[in-house]
This record gives sequence, structure tokens and C-alpha cells, in this order.
Amino acid sequence: MHWGWMRRGVAVAEPVLQVRALCIEWRGADGRTNRVVDGVSFDLAPGATLGIAGESGSGKSTLARALLGHCRPGSAITSGSIRLDGENLASLSEPELARRRGRVMAMVPQNPLASLTFHMPVGRQLEEVLRLRAGLSAKAAGLRALELFGQMGLPEPERLVRRYPHQLSGGQRQRVVLACAIACDPALLVLDEPTTALDKTTEAQVLDLIRRLRMARQGAMVIVTHDLNVVADICDQVLVMQHGRIIEQGAVGTVFSAPREAYTRGLLGAALRVEEASRATHAAPGPTLLEVKGLSFRYARPSLLRRNPLGPPILDGVGLSLARGEVLGVIGESGSGKTTLGGIIAGLLGGEATAVRFDGRPLPGLAAQRTREQRRRIQMVFQDPLSSLNPRRRVGDAVMRPLQLFRGLERREAARCAASLFEELGLEAALLSRFPRQLSGGQQQRVAIARAFAAEPDLLICDEITSALDASVQAQLLDHLAMMQRRQGTAMLLITHDLAVVWRMAPRVLVMQGGRILEAGATEAIFRNPQNPYTAALLGAASRAARAGQGVLAGTGDKKPL
Amino acid sequence: MIALILRRGALSLVTLFLLASFIFFATEVLPGDALDVSLSADEIANMPAEVMARRKAELGLDRPILERYWGFLGGLLRFDLGRTIITRAPVGEIIAMPLRNSVALAGVTLLLALPVALAIAMAAAQAKGRAVDNAVSGAAIIGYSIPEFVTGLLLIAVFAVWWPLFPATITASTNDPLGVLLAAAPLAIATTIIGSVAYLGRILRVGLIEVMAADFVERLHLSGIPRWRIIWLHALPAAMIPGLSAAALYAASLVSGVVVVEMVFAYPGIGAELVRAVTRREVHVVQAIALAAAICVVLFNLLADLGIAALDPRTRR
Repeated sequence: MHWGWMRRGVAVAEPVLQVRALCIEWRGADGRTNRVVDGVSFDLAPGATLGIAGESGSGKSTLARALLGHCRPGSAITSGSIRLDGENLASLSEPELARRRGRVMAMVPQNPLASLTFHMPVGRQLEEVLRLRAGLSAKAAGLRALELFGQMGLPEPERLVRRYPHQLSGGQRQRVVLACAIACDPALLVLDEPTTALDKTTEAQVLDLIRRLRMARQGAMVIVTHDLNVVADICDQVLVMQHGRIIEQGAVGTVFSAPREAYTRGLLGAALRVEEASRATHAAPGPTLLEVKGLSFRYARPSLLRRNPLGPPILDGVGLSLARGEVLGVIGESGSGKTTLGGIIAGLLGGEATAVRFDGRPLPGLAAQRTREQRRRIQMVFQDPLSSLNPRRRVGDAVMRPLQLFRGLERREAARCAASLFEELGLEAALLSRFPRQLSGGQQQRVAIARAFAAEPDLLICDEITSALDASVQAQLLDHLAMMQRRQGTAMLLITHDLAVVWRMAPRVLVMQGGRILEAGATEAIFRNPQNPYTAALLGAASRAARAGQGVLAGTGDKKPL
Repeated sequence: MIALILRRGALSLVTLFLLASFIFFATEVLPGDALDVSLSADEIANMPAEVMARRKAELGLDRPILERYWGFLGGLLRFDLGRTIITRAPVGEIIAMPLRNSVALAGVTLLLALPVALAIAMAAAQAKGRAVDNAVSGAAIIGYSIPEFVTGLLLIAVFAVWWPLFPATITASTNDPLGVLLAAAPLAIATTIIGSVAYLGRILRVGLIEVMAADFVERLHLSGIPRWRIIWLHALPAAMIPGLSAAALYAASLVSGVVVVEMVFAYPGIGAELVRAVTRREVHVVQAIALAAAICVVLFNLLADLGIAALDPRTRR
């Protein structure tokens, strides 16, 4: 009948997922409730891909877990509904949910590095899902696992299935987790920050894989991320969250080309892009401050038999020189030896005493062997601010300590000085009496920077200082860092895998791979015209993601199938 | 894995050698020799010099210290632990049966305590922060912090005096068959089990709670894997790793003699034998028991290390 045909036509376009006025609350130990997801509604059609964007704390991961009917202990869905294939997940019992999880809806959780059982070979973990959730026999599951590993682009599946998670790289582990999630071809696949823990080249490969999966599958996909480049690259709809609410939603092209909310514009602006002209200013070359010649490093391997057996070389004949007040970027993938280089100069690892000269004199390998003056003049800021601050001491004390120790200030004088450092870094003086845990990630990292500058160093080593932070916070932090660096005339070694950070801050750059320096020179020249294929690959991976975002920004977003 | 076993085994042997040497020098050399130690001040004062010299020669104490040390080590390799000073009986024979009795007590205790501790820890971890968990955790702290002689005396007061179900002290003797001995010692076994359940339960509970909050457990939960399977196959092996070393040391301390329990119930174990040897100043027996305790600790440590390597592939190389 005519009407019946019409109804079927409507049924085909009917959304697979319908979320209506969803609220999720956390109940603290003191009994107070905190609404982390607040009245969220959206629809998702089969085959569509939705990006949920927002900073950490915006409630996006809580929402992602709720799409599988799961709330972490201490939180609960207080109102609203989540309809998947017409069934309200919010009203299903735990056994009913368990029957659907993995089959109808599946999740790739946030941290691929910790999401696999560490004491079980990865093949067995995939086979477990295939046997228990897809109902395959043991033999069929073994064959299907090899097939899925192959589809995920994992090398040598026959050997890989017997490996343990720690023997796989981050990208490979993420592929294994992905294989487990799509094992039963679910109608809804939720990916929570699928590329955040990966370096740039690996990220591009995993994004490629996700895009291919998207094309090959019928089901809908939700990608939760703070990285708008990922949203622009893969999704067709976007939903921007702040403080648990949706502040903007729509097609990716529409939202990104004409963002209505200031918050969205901020997120977009914060996604640093290589295509802009470098903002790094060239300082007049001063006298040489740091000189490293032929530096090699291996870790000692504990052994009963030989006295000093050495592991594989981590650094192999590295040389560099840094002038006073100069900013030098060091880039490379994880495992390239860039962090080891910083650790040796900072005196954390030991190393050859003759290889490093600071201010014309040889620098002892360990900080304990250096003079107090040498220790004052070389400071370091680490990747994870929380673990580099003493959790039991107020952050004000952390900043006052170098003032008292190195500059011999009285307590009151040091407190005044710490307050003015806080002010320069855009931190309120009231924060001085807080403990590190009571600050946000960006504030913690600014405290760590204040502590480093309190010693008035000549050389500051920054090791991946922005990679634990949200995009919008990154930009602010780099602005403050650049200002402090110019004012104190501090030389800086900027170690990072984020090319945008180098582009923005460092006029000169070193590219490292496998413990060697592949390429060195002016950032502008190397980024625009890389001589080394590795550098080109590194740059390609980064700017492709950025370009995709920009293409959408310019309103020319196209989704080319693979 | 085989290389690891060999490496750890070799390291254990080195440790044992050092411990044996330490025990020898500490007991035999430092403050006077074995004869001086085993005699009272009066006896030494009244003993004629030639008698003293003869007895020293009988015991081999007139030889130079290094020679005696080599003799001691050589004896160990032949499992010859020397003879007692007073009765001249072989030390090996004196400690063999008490050692057997202590190993039996420890074995029965662990066999019964481990499953109970595991069940309690799992129940508590499942209901973390709720009434069950609070009750279990509280009971475990009480059970662990009450000294064993108090638990033992309480059990005697309740089950032997007020309600005379079991004998207060053990009537079986040292050389009775194990079945007879253990059947006569239900209160002693109960005392060690209470302490063990409390200690092992606490360790396992903490490990389980930590692991149940791990990312891989959440992933499994979100793939619809049944909960019992997550706990038994994924969480439990991971939860045991941090507690294994502590549990092994605890087991070693059980085997090497629960002195207090053995004294309270007159259980004929190695702990009671040690007390007797110390009061009689039988230096060689003290040495042998100390060595047996050291072997226990090293052996259980080795087992714990190998257990960790078996459970955690990251520690294998």
C-alpha cells in the first residue's frame, strides 16, 4: 500500500541512537551531587559518525560510557533516555545490558595502553570476545582473530597473537582494542579519545584505519575527542560540550565554518596550525651557552655475570650548540632519544662527563656532582606537572623553595617574589596556598614553570610540557612561557613531538630518530622543505590532520572515500 | 623463563651461603665459644682447667676459627649439623620431627586460610565501601592486630573451659603420626588460621580493589564479558602480584615456627624446640633452627619471585 511504503521509507532513515534530555550526576563522599551531563539530546542515523568535542571535564567521556549504559561507581543517570535500536538503555537491568554490550554497542576506551589485560596474550583476548560474544567455536575464533588482526593492519598476525600487550607499540595496542570492539560488528561503536596517547605518525595511521572502518561498516560511530582536527578529519556531525551541556551541534562543515559560540571559536583557534607563519622571533645570536659533542648513551643492564653490560644505544653521537637566550626545538617520535638528551643535560641520568660543556666548562654528568650555581642555572619542566610537584606541599612553597635555596631570599621576600611570578604567569595569588591536586592541569604546569623561572636559570629544558594539556590551555601556556623566556633572556631546549609547538616557539630545530640527529637548521626552512624522508613523513602526518581541519574551516570540507 | 629460574636460584644459593656464615659467626664466635655460652658462670668458675680443655677438644673448639668454619660448611653440604653439647645426640635427628610438625601446621593453616581469605577479599572488594566491606575490613584489622597468645587463650577459654569441646593443650607427643597430632590440635590450628585469614584477606582485598578499577577491567565489562570471568581470569591474577611477596614471607614465618602458638598449646613444633634449645644453651641446635628458618624465607621468596614472573609477563626477560 502507498502509505506502508511511505512508512518504510521513514523507518530506514530512523536514527539508530536517540538521546533525550540525558542527565548524569556524580555523588561525592560528602553527599553533594555534581551534574556532569546536563540535558543532552541528539540523534544519530545508521552509518553516520558523530564527533563529541570539548575540553577535559566537559562531561564527554561520561556521556560516552553512558551510551553503553555504563556509569562508573558513584555516578548514575538521573533522568532522560538513551534509545538504541528503540530500547531505552537507561531502564535496562545490568544483565540485559551485558547481553547487548559488545554485540549491539561496543567501546574503544580512552587509554589503549592500559585497556588490555597485561598478563594475557593479545590473541587470547580477542578470541575471548569472539567466543563469548560472537558465539564462535574455539577453532573458528582463532582463525577469525588472525583475519581481524590482518584487517587492522597488524603485521605478522600469526606471531603477534602470542605476544603480550607490553610487547606491542601504542598504535598496535590500539588496533587490538579496535579489533575487540568491532568483533561482533556492533550497531554503535564509541571511541573515546582514540588517538590521544599516540604520537603524530601513529595517530595518522590509526585515523586512516578508523576512516576505513567507517566506510566498510553499516553501524553508527561516536568519536569523543578534544582534538578538533580529528573531528574535522573523520566525522560528519559534531557536538560541542562545555560543563556537561551541549553548546553547539550540527554538521561539521557548518559548525566549523561559522561557530556561533565563543567557546567553540576558542577551541578552533587553539588547534595550532603549521600553515600559519612562524611566530618565533629570531634573537640576535649571543655567545655559546651549551655545547654537546659526540654524546652517546646506553642504559646499564642489570646482570649477575658481567659488571657493566650495556643496552642498545639510546643516544648515538649527538651534537648541538645553543647560544644564550636562544630557543631550540627538538622533535622526533617517541623512542627517538629526545627525552634522554634532555635528561642528560639536566643531570638526571649521568652520561659522559666530557661530552657536555656549559658556559665553556665541562658539565659533570649527574646533578649531585654539579655546583649549586650550575644547578641553579639549568632548570627543567616535565611533561606531567602533577607528578613533578610534591602533593603534600602547597604550590607557593614549591615556588619559594628555589628562591630561598638559590637566591638566599628571606621567607617574606620569597613569598612576595613568588606572588609576582604567579601574577606574570596569569595565576591568581590566592592559588599560592593550594595543593597541586586542587589546581587544573594548566595551572599546575604554570606553577612548574614559575618554579623553574624562580631560580633565574640561563637554560630551561622543557620536556613535552604541553602534551598533557587541552588545546586551548596549551596556547595560553606557550604564550606565558614565551613572555617569561624573552624577559629573562633564558635559553630554552624545547623537547616535543608536537610540531606546532616548535613552529610557534623555536626559530631553530633538531630532528631526531633512533638516537641520532637527522636534520638541524632553521625551523622555517626545514618545515617548508625537509631534506630527510623521515622529517618529511613526520611533517606530513602533522599537517595532513591540520589541513583537513582547515579545509572544513574554509567551508570546503570534503569527505573522500578511501 | 628458564634463564630467570636459574638466575634467581643461583642468587638464592649465594644468599643462603652468606646467611649460614652469618649464623655461624654470630652464634659461635662473637661472644666466647659454644662451651662458654652453654655453661653458667658458676660452672665455668668451678671447672678445673684441664677438664675445660678436654671438653673444648671434644667439641673441636680448640681448633682455629677458620678451620671450624670450613668444618661447619662441609658438614652442611653433607647435611651433618653437628651434635648437641650435653647429650651428644645428632642435631639433625633432634630437629627433624619438630620441623615436620611445624611444616604440617603451616601447611594445614595455609590450605584452609587461603580459600577463606580469597572468598572474604572478593566479597569485600565487590561491596567496596558498603557495610559488608566495612565489617570485613574492620574484622580483619582486629584479627590481625590481636596477638596470637590472646586469640589462643580466648579460644581455650571458650572451647576448652566453658564449653569443653577440645583439649586445652595438646596431648600428642613429638613423634606421633601427623594425623594423630593434627587431630589433637584443632585450637592451635584455629589460632593460626585466624591470624592468616586476617593478614592474607587484607592484602588480597587491597589488590583486588585496585585492579577492579583498572582500565582493562572496564573494557571487559563494556564488552559484555561475564563478571565471574573478569574476576577469575583477568583481575585475580593481576591482583595477586603485589601481595605475593608479602604472603610468601608470611608463609615462611609460619613454617619456621609460630613460637607463641606452639608455647600456648604445647604444640611440639620447631618454635618450641628453639625455646628449649636457647634455655639449654644448645648452640648447634639454635644454629640449625636458624638455618632452617633462613632456608624457609629464601625458598618462599624464590617461589614468590617465580610466581610473579609466571603471572606478570612484563617482569620476564
